[in-house]
Amino acid sequence: MTTEIPVHAKERLKGLRSSVHSTGVFTSDFSVNEFLLVRKAGFEPIGLCVGTCVYHVGIQYGSWSKNQEMDVLSKAMYHARELAMSRMRAEASAMGADGIVGVKLTIKRLEWDEHLLEFIAIGTGVVHGDGHKGFRAHDGGPFTSDLSGQDFWSLLHAGYRPVEMVMGSCVYHVAHRGVLSGFGTVGKNVELENFTAAMYEAREIAVERMQFEASAAKAEGVVGVEIHEGSHGWQTHVIEFFAIGTAVLPLEDEIAPEKIADPIMVLSVND
Amino acid sequence: MGLFDFLKPAAPQDSAAARRQADILMSLRGGRVPTATLDRLTESAAGTKPWMATLTPAELGIARSHGLKPIAAISATCWLHYGWSWTQGHSQGWETALERLAQEAKACGANAVLDVKMRTIKVEAGESMDFTLIGTAVKVEGLPPSADPIIATVPALEFVKLLEADVVPTGIAIGAHYEWLQDWRGNANQAWMGNVESWQLSNLWETVRQRAHAQLRESARPRGNGVLAHLNFSQMFEREREQGERKFKEYLARHIVIATTVDARKGTPLPHEIKMVVDMCDGKTPLTGTKRHHQSYATNEQDGAI
Repeated sequence: MTTEIPVHAKERLKGLRSSVHSTGVFTSDFSVNEFLLVRKAGFEPIGLCVGTCVYHVGIQYGSWSKNQEMDVLSKAMYHARELAMSRMRAEASAMGADGIVGVKLTIKRLEWDEHLLEFIAIGTGVVHGDGHKGFRAHDGGPFTSDLSGQDFWSLLHAGYRPVEMVMGSCVYHVAHRGVLSGFGTVGKNVELENFTAAMYEAREIAVERMQFEASAAKAEGVVGVEIHEGSHGWQTHVIEFFAIGTAVLPLEDEIAPEKIADPIMVLSVND
Repeated sequence: MGLFDFLKPAAPQDSAAARRQADILMSLRGGRVPTATLDRLTESAAGTKPWMATLTPAELGIARSHGLKPIAAISATCWLHYGWSWTQGHSQGWETALERLAQEAKACGANAVLDVKMRTIKVEAGESMDFTLIGTAVKVEGLPPSADPIIATVPALEFVKLLEADVVPTGIAIGAHYEWLQDWRGNANQAWMGNVESWQLSNLWETVRQRAHAQLRESARPRGNGVLAHLNFSQMFEREREQGERKFKEYLARHIVIATTVDARKGTPLPHEIKMVVDMCDGKTPLTGTKRHHQSYATNEQDGAI
């Protein structure tokens, strides 16, 4: 079976310049496969959207023997990401994008000052090929999502559309164990209940915040939830719990579960 | 100090946080889900708050097409101090986390928890380790909530593949064993002899591994009729000891094996045709998976194949 090369591609191969790109070039950080899949899903990339925020993170010390949220740091980490994301989204709006696919959030420490963190949000703005506006977020602006091109195609085929990239942050100080608490644990395996409790509280706060964002975006659910634990040059025992995912809504023409195609099973015979 | 901090009078702005921590501690001791978490799970189950899932979009699709609905991303932790035994602590730590995860699953009216991952946070805290499980609670359309939700430590795609073949992943089984060997005569270390088996150390390994696997079988028995997807972790240490005048070497061998338990009905084949493909991708291919599912053990992968 051969597939015909489309007319336009053939002309381009003959060395003829196309006249259809009146709007200029698009930029994107898609791989070849992502590009093809996003187009298969009915969207066209229009431009890379970037948002940056250099943030001075305040100082806060946890008391040695106490489990507590470091609210100054939590707010900083959240606020800085929020600023970077909203700037990226503003760029997307300005170019008329219906959404942003493949958002990557990164944090860098700047060498000369330990309290300066650089937050970067970067993704590819896309528009619906037929000008369908139903894919935009609840506020009429572009949707955001950290889904790759592959994930984006799969999500639409699962009957959902992305609405907003949602996140929740909680920077938490885990109590140190007191000198005395060592007694009574020699020769026994015991649970360190206050450590366990710290994990529960910190995770709960991060997840609650993420879920709150999803509610505010009027989403039905959140897909691809991940909880990262990280430290950004704070004291030991200070950990950021960062929950992130993509809030989703069913498609306007909901796909019936039985209509979802089963994947084909393959066996790679390479080795 | 520490553990009972919450009993001390707190500054007003701290009191809400202190109350919440006290509630978490008391709930965990009583085998209940902490109140804040319970409230969130109840609302997710009722649909008044968005559901949450650790699933990828492709997994969400296949879950939907097989009548599974995500309810919430749930998690459980047990942070354990090994005052007695590091090796057995692993079995105790995961068992406790597993019980707590099951409580959360029940609280949201789930039939199963899938995509359960074992996680450990790297915090230096003496002789202790964090045993954390994270997964997605789901309900099966048309079924009432389960009194004993199954816990599947496999990703959603594998979960569905197994169900189609009438195999139900039911939980995890753990076998952990360690033994010390006192080498009074220096037999284990035969560097001067050329090619010869160090039979004491061979024996030590054999015993430790056999016991760990026997324990794995016992731990699996109440949950199913088989185990899959082993995760092996083993270590051996040597140390010098002195007893009176005598100097000798001492060896510690430990082996931990963790596996997914399954309840498999014999003779139900996979209802799908399998196509053979040649993957032209160089290096690691997404066909064979790119991410490790569990993160808690740097398994002995670097040791190389036999």
